[in-house]
Amino acid sequence: MANIEIDAPGTSQLFIGNEAIARGALEAGIGFAAAYPGTPSSEILGSLAQVAKKIGIYAEWSINEMVAMEAAAGASFAGIRALAAMKQNGINVVSDFLANLVMSGTGKGGLVLVSCDDPSAISSSNEQDTRPAAKWLDIPLVEPGDFQEAKDMTKWLFDLAEELGTICILRSVTRIAHARGNVKLGELPTKQHRAYFEQIHDLKNVMPTTFMPIPSSLRHFFLHMKLEKACEKFESSPFNRYVGPDKPDLLIITSGSCWLYSQDAIEALKLRDRVGILKLGTLWPLPERFVTEHLNKSDKVLFVEEIDPFIERSVMELAGNFPPNAARPIFYGKRSGHINAYGELNPDMVIKAISTILGLTYQPRDIQYSKKAEAVAKSSVPERSMTFCAGCPHRATFWAIKNALKLDGRDGFVTGDIGCYSMALGPAGFFQVRTMHCMGAGAGVANGLGKLGQFGFNQPVIAVVGDSTFYHATIPALINGIYNQSKFILVILDNSATAMTGFQPHPGTGMTAMGEPTKVVSMEALCRSLGAHVEVCDPFDLKGTTNTLLNMMAEDGGAKVAIMRRSCELVRAKKEKLPYKVHIDVDKCIGEACGCDRLCTRIFLCPGLVWDKKTGKSRIDEVICSGCGVCADVCLQGAIIREAA
Amino acid sequence: MATKGCKELVSEVIDTRLCALCGACTGNCPYLAYYKGRITLLDNCSRADEAQCYEYCPRTYTDMNAISQKIFSTPYGENEIGTVKDVLMVRATDTIVREKAQYGGAVTALLSLALAEGLINGVVLTKTSDDKAPAPFLAQSVDDVLQCAGSSYMACPVLRRYNQIAKGDNSKLGIVAMPCQVLSVAKMKAEPRQNRVSIGNVKLVIGLFCTWALSPDKFYQFLKENLDLAKVKKFDIPPPPANRFDVFTASGKTSFPLEQIRKFTMPTCAYCLDMTSEFADVSVGSVEGTEEWNTVIVRTDDGADLMERAKKKGKLQIDKLPSSNLEHLKEAALLKKKRALNEIVKRSGDKNNLLYLGLSPQLTKKLLA
Repeated sequence: MANIEIDAPGTSQLFIGNEAIARGALEAGIGFAAAYPGTPSSEILGSLAQVAKKIGIYAEWSINEMVAMEAAAGASFAGIRALAAMKQNGINVVSDFLANLVMSGTGKGGLVLVSCDDPSAISSSNEQDTRPAAKWLDIPLVEPGDFQEAKDMTKWLFDLAEELGTICILRSVTRIAHARGNVKLGELPTKQHRAYFEQIHDLKNVMPTTFMPIPSSLRHFFLHMKLEKACEKFESSPFNRYVGPDKPDLLIITSGSCWLYSQDAIEALKLRDRVGILKLGTLWPLPERFVTEHLNKSDKVLFVEEIDPFIERSVMELAGNFPPNAARPIFYGKRSGHINAYGELNPDMVIKAISTILGLTYQPRDIQYSKKAEAVAKSSVPERSMTFCAGCPHRATFWAIKNALKLDGRDGFVTGDIGCYSMALGPAGFFQVRTMHCMGAGAGVANGLGKLGQFGFNQPVIAVVGDSTFYHATIPALINGIYNQSKFILVILDNSATAMTGFQPHPGTGMTAMGEPTKVVSMEALCRSLGAHVEVCDPFDLKGTTNTLLNMMAEDGGAKVAIMRRSCELVRAKKEKLPYKVHIDVDKCIGEACGCDRLCTRIFLCPGLVWDKKTGKSRIDEVICSGCGVCADVCLQGAIIREAA
Repeated sequence: MATKGCKELVSEVIDTRLCALCGACTGNCPYLAYYKGRITLLDNCSRADEAQCYEYCPRTYTDMNAISQKIFSTPYGENEIGTVKDVLMVRATDTIVREKAQYGGAVTALLSLALAEGLINGVVLTKTSDDKAPAPFLAQSVDDVLQCAGSSYMACPVLRRYNQIAKGDNSKLGIVAMPCQVLSVAKMKAEPRQNRVSIGNVKLVIGLFCTWALSPDKFYQFLKENLDLAKVKKFDIPPPPANRFDVFTASGKTSFPLEQIRKFTMPTCAYCLDMTSEFADVSVGSVEGTEEWNTVIVRTDDGADLMERAKKKGKLQIDKLPSSNLEHLKEAALLKKKRALNEIVKRSGDKNNLLYLGLSPQLTKKLLA
């Protein structure tokens, strides 16, 4: 990660968008940052935590987004500028708090929420859009269009949030968050933070210094006043600007990374003198006067934005209020079908939309080009499906789960959750996972299934969660299952890391975000204290794990817990050497013959095992093999040999 | 040659509850596994030719005549109790063996002798553990064999243990098995395969008499609910008209009416024609009306040789089986054949469709008459 605390105003640094946001927060003088990891947002807190101790701020990986947001609000109430960061799904987790926080207002410290959306759900379960949430929550929302803006806007947003006394949202997307660009640095503040929760009523103020949403109608009225004030600021914001001819044939209205795609498209089409771009940085509330002024420039308007038609609808709403005889442009966008109403955009898509509207023919590249590119890629890239790493304990766990469910014979199944193990929907986990929604949903769904006995339901239900997901959102579902005697097994895949997002610590790891050792919240002690039957398994012991699961499935009673404890292979490999040296005994390997049918390379599918077509035997890919040795127990022929390394 | 694989095994045998739990499809296959009275397909195997699971299953198509020709060089079905060299009444001379044994201790005595004489180095059989759950076991000493004496009346996948023996292991083996298992071994002998422990190493097959076997899952559950299994010494079904299932413990005997027990019978037993393990080297059962003795049917030269040695070494007390007993045995065996064939036709709904059985039309006609 880049050094975001470098004190060199005026110089340029190469930052990813998330680091630029973190730097902006530092320049704004934040004292407190909290987040729950989630791609593409994780590097914001990651980079802040790295420098926190040195520059005297506090940063934490919170148990979930809700607590991160509430904790940040707490800091704001005591006068400290605070930031909470999360991915788009986090907005759902915090929305209940936010809906009340906007009523209560924030404290003397400005409070900013950064939400990183993931168009096309590249690393997500869905591609939810934060912007409509800001609208229904009455929260001002801005979106940077490049890396410099990511920093500058963040800094500016703290000032705004503090002035308004309400939380503000900075929305970013994957291509801003994770792409890298030059950022010109500003000054770092030298002011010392001092936290104090003011309890004395300010007699000049109507409201006492309490933070609560009631009386709600009055609070709601004040909130609207704040939004009006925000809107007034947005009308003259430098983050909104128009570039293009005075009377363009087509006006593009866009924001964020789509602004970059739009510029590329106009360049490629050489239409700088015919097409103008109105780039918006402050999206909600919409600066209506500013937008109206530019709407009149052209009779054709194209909205280029990712995921929801948020700007499109806001502008249409605005145009709906035009006087009866006023000229209205033709609107193109998601509604007209010129822009996809789902997924990420790219310059080609924008080029296509512009070409269609303006009746141009544009061939981005030789038709044969993509075919050639594909052929080249195929020839040099080995074909691999999305899978767990070699040595990943999840593969072993799902092997045991698969066999246990099959042997049990009652057509049991797995409700899944969010993490690397979501891949168990596919061949990586032997297609075991049947449901997957949001953090903690696997156990929640299992609660319902586990109570269907009276309707003849007898299928065993296994809810699978990761260790971080367990702490995040599963504990209430487990308590519910114990209390209401719902019959399911909660399998916690304890790999001692929030692995999928980059090994952030969680309450089971004994380490804080700032690198301080801390008390481990023992998941087995916690579950046992709740009254659950708890078993701790080593997933690499395939037989033992399978038997434990079989016995638990055969047991009566409510929710039970099986903890699969094995370090994430990527974490282990950093600390320890290979446990085993694994090789194939070619005399024993029977390959495709009856009695094997290449179980290891056809079903088990560890990337460390390779099928050698020429010899008709399996082979170990020594570069990939992590030496876990689990495959030796999978091979019934005893052809996979593991020796202590 | 079979052209079907594990999918067909599941759809034709396991899902239709024709599976006898012999264990022949498990042990050296990673896809098929035995657990609590059921064979389960863990993953799909893509093999559909030379799939041994299908080929050696005693409930997939079996040409009885072809197998009889291969093993005895005689056609199948002329005798109600199969190919016979001799039918004897025997009991072990060793009283300790007799005490432990179900009846006369013939199996234990013969195995001990075969091991001692080096005819075999090990024997695959059923061991009833302390909690009275039957499990396949490879006995390699006389002591091991003694521990396996007695019957649990429950089906047990004995052939799984046979399949687990490593491919290169050249030890000489014995197998003690039920008629369905003996049939599977006979199919292996008739069509041996390279890619498993050589069936040629199997030097002795002792078949047991069987009218039906009980489900090792449901019946075991029943026993567990009704008895303290750790204290059980012996199970017994005395000959008719007793109609009882007796359980002996140190403190006495508990009896269950046979009707209560019959519901735990393996469904496949209704379709089995073989009471006396017709493809074994020697078959062993009880003697009606005479406890502490065994009926022994000697079928092959190997079987005759072993009996001869037992006689010479004084391990067995041997008599001719009284002719009335032999008649009764034949009657009972024929009755099982007739009943089973009728059940098969009832199930298939077609006299020409005998499910897994390949019988000559003449024999079919004779048995259905």
